[in-house]
Amino acid sequence: MADSGTRSSTVYHDAAKTLQGKITLDGVNVFYGPKQAIHDVSMVIPDRSVTAFIGPSGCGKSTILRTINRMNETIDIARTEGSIRIDGDEVNSKAVDPVILRARVGMVFQKPNPFPKSIYDNVAYGPRIHGLASGKRDLDAIVETSLKKAGLWDEVADRLDQPGTGLSGGQQQRLVIARAIAVSPEVILMDEPCSALDPIATAKIEELIDELRENYCIVIVTHSMAQAARVSQMTAFFHMGDLVEYGPTEDIFTNPHEPRTQDYITGRFG
Amino acid sequence: MPINALILLMMLVLISAAFYVGRSRALRASGRGSISLHSLPNYHGYFVALWTGVPALLLMAAMAVFGSSISESVIEMRLNQAAAPLAADLEAQLAEDSLIQSARRTLDASADVNAATQARAAIQSRRTAIADSIADTARESGASGLALAGFEYANLPPERRGLFTNDARALAFNGQPSEITPAIEATASAFRPVDRIVRYGGAVLAILLAMAGLAWSRSRVKAGFRARNRVEAAFMGFLMFCSGIAILTTIGIVASLLFESLRFFEAINWRLDQFLFGTQWSPQTAIRAEQVGQTGAFGAVPLFAGTFMITIIAILVAGPIGLFAAIYLSEYAGKRTRKIVKPVMEILAGIPTVVYGFFALLTVGPAIRAAAQFVGFESAVTQSALSAGLVMGVMIIPFVSSLSDDVINAVPQTLRDGAYAMGATKSETVKQVILPAALPGIVGAFLLAVSRAVGETMIVVMAAGQGANLTANPLESVTTITVQIVMLLTGDQEFDSAKTLSAFALGLVLFIFTLALNVIALRVVQRYREKYD
Repeated sequence: MADSGTRSSTVYHDAAKTLQGKITLDGVNVFYGPKQAIHDVSMVIPDRSVTAFIGPSGCGKSTILRTINRMNETIDIARTEGSIRIDGDEVNSKAVDPVILRARVGMVFQKPNPFPKSIYDNVAYGPRIHGLASGKRDLDAIVETSLKKAGLWDEVADRLDQPGTGLSGGQQQRLVIARAIAVSPEVILMDEPCSALDPIATAKIEELIDELRENYCIVIVTHSMAQAARVSQMTAFFHMGDLVEYGPTEDIFTNPHEPRTQDYITGRFG
Repeated sequence: MPINALILLMMLVLISAAFYVGRSRALRASGRGSISLHSLPNYHGYFVALWTGVPALLLMAAMAVFGSSISESVIEMRLNQAAAPLAADLEAQLAEDSLIQSARRTLDASADVNAATQARAAIQSRRTAIADSIADTARESGASGLALAGFEYANLPPERRGLFTNDARALAFNGQPSEITPAIEATASAFRPVDRIVRYGGAVLAILLAMAGLAWSRSRVKAGFRARNRVEAAFMGFLMFCSGIAILTTIGIVASLLFESLRFFEAINWRLDQFLFGTQWSPQTAIRAEQVGQTGAFGAVPLFAGTFMITIIAILVAGPIGLFAAIYLSEYAGKRTRKIVKPVMEILAGIPTVVYGFFALLTVGPAIRAAAQFVGFESAVTQSALSAGLVMGVMIIPFVSSLSDDVINAVPQTLRDGAYAMGATKSETVKQVILPAALPGIVGAFLLAVSRAVGETMIVVMAAGQGANLTANPLESVTTITVQIVMLLTGDQEFDSAKTLSAFALGLVLFIFTLALNVIALRVVQRYREKYD
């Protein structure tokens, strides 16, 4: 945690220590070409809880989320510096195959993106490419469990062979969550998972996130402060690529230390 | 005659003057900005210029198209007028002539065909004799050349009148008449002034119309006048006209194809089944009645089969290569590679097909023959379906690759992200996510490539041979629909024999086939777009 820069945005909070740390970011900088998008972010994200990233558009919250499963590598000009560790394992090292890493760290995107395949094949996709199922029966079980965990089983059990793209937006998003769960990841990253959904579908997803918290480390990027307040235990506020404030959600929303956080939460900007 | 060029120049001057007149009048109407104009001064200028130029230019275009037929009908009128006394004389003499009267009676009374023919011939020859004697008398009595010419013209059979006018016109304007007779000379000298009047009259009329347009439109320029809307409406009319030309041309071509095909089907007694399902193609028909052994067989199956085989070979070549190239370009290649490779591949599409043709004939064909003979097919020939198909496949690679590349690029990034985030590698993502998502579009690309291959002519003419063989062996020479159309229509042909007309029927079949393919391909691509937009 050696950081002596003037732009240090290292923020720890006592509450984070009571929860067991899962992901540790240490002096993370991200560049898109010559432009620096993330300035020296360090934080510890706890296991078996929901951590929300909030902040105005373009503040870098999605970028920092994507460093955790190295999704930024799919963008040619992106470059990440610093240390990111999951359970002490360095994520950014060359020895780590991003393909294996991404099996440990699932991700759900803003727009539901089911593959152009059947519902069953969508969920079975991860277990198949990673060789997680030993047979057809095993795969069936994984698909069923994942869909049940995602709260979609009852709605699709009788039409698993139909295309995933035929579901409604909310169902698609839960299908995508089931797909992510199917490879039994340790961490689930969610990049504004409800921004394309109506309030009822959103409520279902939030309920689901709350249930999943028991078994996974969940990091969620959201534009809705109400959502952050509802679903998360920890909240990090980003602004212009800096981590401004990080702490238990209750504290951030009721008693922010930083004036910028207060301004954002009370709606004075952003 | 530079008169039209001169008029055009004057028109240009007038139009630009009109623009400035309209503009300055609008500026004056605005009272130097104290009253606001509805439209910018330039629009008033365009408005006046349009009214000056368009009607007058349209008139000039109409004169260019119809001018000669106007002067011809004037000439015909004058010929008839000049010959009127002589024609009346002829009719009078005919009515009195006893020979004619008796022949007419025979014609009315007799039902016998031979007798009627004889009577008609008698009337005709007698009529010619009387006409000749009238002409002779008139010439001796010093009748005008034009009257004699008109008399001769009136007594010509209708199908020769066109030739007569053409000769006169040619003689009048330094052309090459087919013959020169006193009658033609007289008509030619009458032609010159008439033509001049029509020409100058048209020019003067055009200028007057331009001036009238200028004056009228100038009077409409006021502060509140909506010149901008008028100009834009005129421009929209021009756009409609342009799209109309494309549509009308298509309709015209299809209609001519259809009517000529109908004539062909009539010639083969509506045996459509023989045309579509017959297996023998030898379109040589007897040109003279006494020729034997050439009845003509129009069974197009060998042509369909040859087309089909070459197309299949071409798609087998272009499909995989084009698709894999597209996958490499869109998913694997870096920006810089893509920047170089894509244009280079598109150069392939710019090579003239005739170049591919002799490449197939001189390089690929002999190589395939040598290879086939080496393997043991002694009978292999240079012009084979295989060489034509291979080279055509190379030709349509850019089609498949560039269309597939577009489709693959159109697969939303979120799908790729989803697959990568699941821990899929690049090739897994391509195989299991991107290709299935892009499949309808790729199918569309293939169908468009097929329709291109089916319609391709030059390569197959040069490389596939001309014999209408019905064979499944790609090492033999085959022929295609397009090749046969070329064979049927090149060289000296009569345009009313079944042989030449069959080319139109083949063209119609080809057209229907490629049209259907294109429609299906476009619909497939469209449905795919709807899914992801």
